[in-house]
Amino acid sequence: MSSRALRITLLALAVIGLGVASYLTYVHYAGIKPACTAGESCAKVQTSVYSTLAGVPVALIGLIGYIAIIGSLLAPEGENARLATMAFTLVGFGFSAYLTYRELFSIHAICEWCASSAVIMTVLAGLSTWRFLRGDTERASPGSAPSGGHGEPAAPLGSALLSTSVHPKRP
Amino acid sequence: MTPVDSDEQDLTRKERREQARAQRKAVEQAELASATRRTRLRQLGIVVVIVVLAVVVILIASGGGSSKKAVTAGTPTATKMVNEVNTRIGGIPQSGDTLGNASAPVTLQYFGDLQCPVCREFTLGALPSIIQTWVRTGKLKIEYLSLETATHEPEVFKTQQVAALAAGKQAKMWNFLELFYRQQGEENSGYVTESFLQGLAAQSGVNLSQWTSDRNDSALAKQVVNDAEAASNAGFNGTPSFLIGKRGGKLSRLEYSSLTDPTSFNEAIEKLAKS
Repeated sequence: MSSRALRITLLALAVIGLGVASYLTYVHYAGIKPACTAGESCAKVQTSVYSTLAGVPVALIGLIGYIAIIGSLLAPEGENARLATMAFTLVGFGFSAYLTYRELFSIHAICEWCASSAVIMTVLAGLSTWRFLRGDTERASPGSAPSGGHGEPAAPLGSALLSTSVHPKRP
Repeated sequence: MTPVDSDEQDLTRKERREQARAQRKAVEQAELASATRRTRLRQLGIVVVIVVLAVVVILIASGGGSSKKAVTAGTPTATKMVNEVNTRIGGIPQSGDTLGNASAPVTLQYFGDLQCPVCREFTLGALPSIIQTWVRTGKLKIEYLSLETATHEPEVFKTQQVAALAAGKQAKMWNFLELFYRQQGEENSGYVTESFLQGLAAQSGVNLSQWTSDRNDSALAKQVVNDAEAASNAGFNGTPSFLIGKRGGKLSRLEYSSLTDPTSFNEAIEKLAKS
């Protein structure tokens, strides 16, 4: 998968997650019952003591998290931006894991909106970690490098940093 | 040496220099790649450690919103809770698992697990207002039915629910329930001991020897099983869950929007009470 395609995939997932978090935040502040196919499960989760953290609705925390992830994805491509995306998504993944634990073992009800957000965040965390560890493959790939030799092996992990931070020597 | 030989030697030297340069470059790139990989893995490790620590802190801080230790009967805290419960339900008729006038036109069935923190939330949240508005005025009676969710050990579940039902044989089940939820500990932490249950029974005001004897009544254990069947028939798999209907009529699921705000309960009860 190219860096561009990966970035677009991450962005699309984050936008979907943002939509889910926005809806849950609206439901929380409007005091209405979320649309739910599993009876009162969503209402049970949304009105439980675990729906806020230090007085802040967890849906709002999620919304802020998705905005941060989208911001890092829209930032100019680079090592720091990829690190930020990974850090935000891993924090989101940890928080989603905590909330899912509460749903399963404390509230004993699953909110499908929360579950879908947790799945999105898990995929985001996995993809962004992979993206961070592999670096910028397009800049590092031989096809786009000035050397342009045919049959060269793919650039090793980390050469993205080399290509962006070190000016290539003249032969 | 002919000029051709000299050219060949120059070419070979040039090729060797280029080969050596390429090898050096490859080694440098490999070293740099290795260093970058280590840096990235270290950064990943730092982020993961921070996330894990944050989750642990949140887990500890959020605890469960309930008291962690059972309250000893006779202590000022216990006395305060007993007074609160007496103020809330004192004077309202009780019979077995039912709170309220037997001839009340509307029946609400409350499926709960005594260790369920969300049931506690409802019991301390929306329920007081429902009792005050509808039960005390004789328009509603509430039946408490057992559904195992939060309690992971079936034997513990049966013991605690039967203990509550045994208090019901002395028309004190709702005192027992209210006190249990107020003194609820962290679920499945082993706080539901014999002394905890006896303490609740004492605070509920039951005759202890009678209560102890009633706990062996097989009909009470059977009632817990029947409640689970009723919950299964209603399609409930979580607590609290509710059925509501007119007295003697068919009960249907009550959909609520909040466990702390009684509005959705009030609307459902009002509609049935008027019809």
